[in-house]
Amino acid sequence: MSDKEKLYQERFARYTTALDCGKPDKVPVVFPIGEWFVKYTDTNMQEIYYDVDKSTAIISDLIKDLDFDTMFGSPNLWWPPMFDAIGCKLYKFPGIYFEENSGFQYIEEEYMKAEDYDEFIANPTYWLATKYLPRICGEFSEPGSYRASVALVKGAAAFAMHNDKMARASEKWAKEYAVVPATSGMTKAPFDTLGDALRGTKGILVDLRRRPDKVVAACEAIVPHNIAYAMITAAGDTTFPCFAPLHKGAYPFLSPAFWEKYYWPTWKAVIEGLWSMRKRTFFFAEGDWTPYLEKIAELPDKSIVFCIDLTDAKKAKAVLGGRFCLYGGVPTTLLTYGTPQEVKDCVKKAIDELAGDGGFILAAGGVVMSDAKRENIMAMLEAAREYGVY
Amino acid sequence: MFVPEAGTCVPWDIKKKEFGTIAGNEELVKKEWTGLDALAYAFIWFWVQR
Repeated sequence: MSDKEKLYQERFARYTTALDCGKPDKVPVVFPIGEWFVKYTDTNMQEIYYDVDKSTAIISDLIKDLDFDTMFGSPNLWWPPMFDAIGCKLYKFPGIYFEENSGFQYIEEEYMKAEDYDEFIANPTYWLATKYLPRICGEFSEPGSYRASVALVKGAAAFAMHNDKMARASEKWAKEYAVVPATSGMTKAPFDTLGDALRGTKGILVDLRRRPDKVVAACEAIVPHNIAYAMITAAGDTTFPCFAPLHKGAYPFLSPAFWEKYYWPTWKAVIEGLWSMRKRTFFFAEGDWTPYLEKIAELPDKSIVFCIDLTDAKKAKAVLGGRFCLYGGVPTTLLTYGTPQEVKDCVKKAIDELAGDGGFILAAGGVVMSDAKRENIMAMLEAAREYGVY
Repeated sequence: MFVPEAGTCVPWDIKKKEFGTIAGNEELVKKEWTGLDALAYAFIWFWVQR
């Protein structure tokens, strides 16, 4: 076994021991990717989004001398050529609609209308393929046409190409730099699936007052799909947790009463469905989830990794600690607005409060975006190794 | 119109009926059909799992 393979195994054991609420030799440390590194290179946002090979090469150069266990995130959440191929209206990317150093923008609309609920609930995949895709993709506006047929071929090919490039990048980082992947697969809370890309924020908030039964029925219809989507995108893997970015469940987007009625039941069902297959969920709780900790504690032991961004860390430890792996401890806002010393102090506090008996992974609590400071990221990694020894 | 179960677009059972009798190794045909069908399913659902 090579030194790199040994190091990979060491880091893998550290990470997976913590996932199982155990006490490894050190607190596992996550390196956050995001887009922050762009401003420290000779590249720009457009290149990072469009040129996956260049992006992979830059990250490889960035991580080669750093000491951390797993890497989380991606510099290019979306690959714009795939969106360009089908004329997708969901996003606008730098280089076409904005200057080349801008971030992407999501164009929120009610792509699913209120009158579409029944058809969607009755046959979700069919509705998405026949109604939703033609609405969000300019090239599909005349289904069956030459432009639509070619765009479908290109869009599907781009989907497969990008997935393959990302899988190869992950393999390269594991083999050459002993970096353990943090997650495998992706899913969402059904309420977020419905409220983000289908009805939109305004749409779903109106629906909670005017057609709440439809919201419940649609979320229930989405549950088996979000379980299936997780397992397909994870290629069946159950070693690593499934990434689940959570949006409209953070406090106080919904009132606690609405959260319990509309957000939690179907999200819980997805998590429990995955756990019945031994697939753990990466409960990516950006923002503040403090009021919901007792409800989250109803989940089966070890079924989630709970990410602490702005959630009260002490309370999270008291309510969830020992039964679920806790992750995070460093607010993403601190990486942007803080100083290296403040970041170090935060890391020490997080380890003192959360790491005592294992089951803790040190990381930024949310997605690290382009405004984070390099010196703060490095301070986080250094402090994690300094203080994170059991 | 059939309602494909989660994880499928055109389930194997439906395609198998369209094929009729499969002279060779049915499991081989089924395995590859199911894998590509899952990829299509992931592509369709990708757009709402942002």
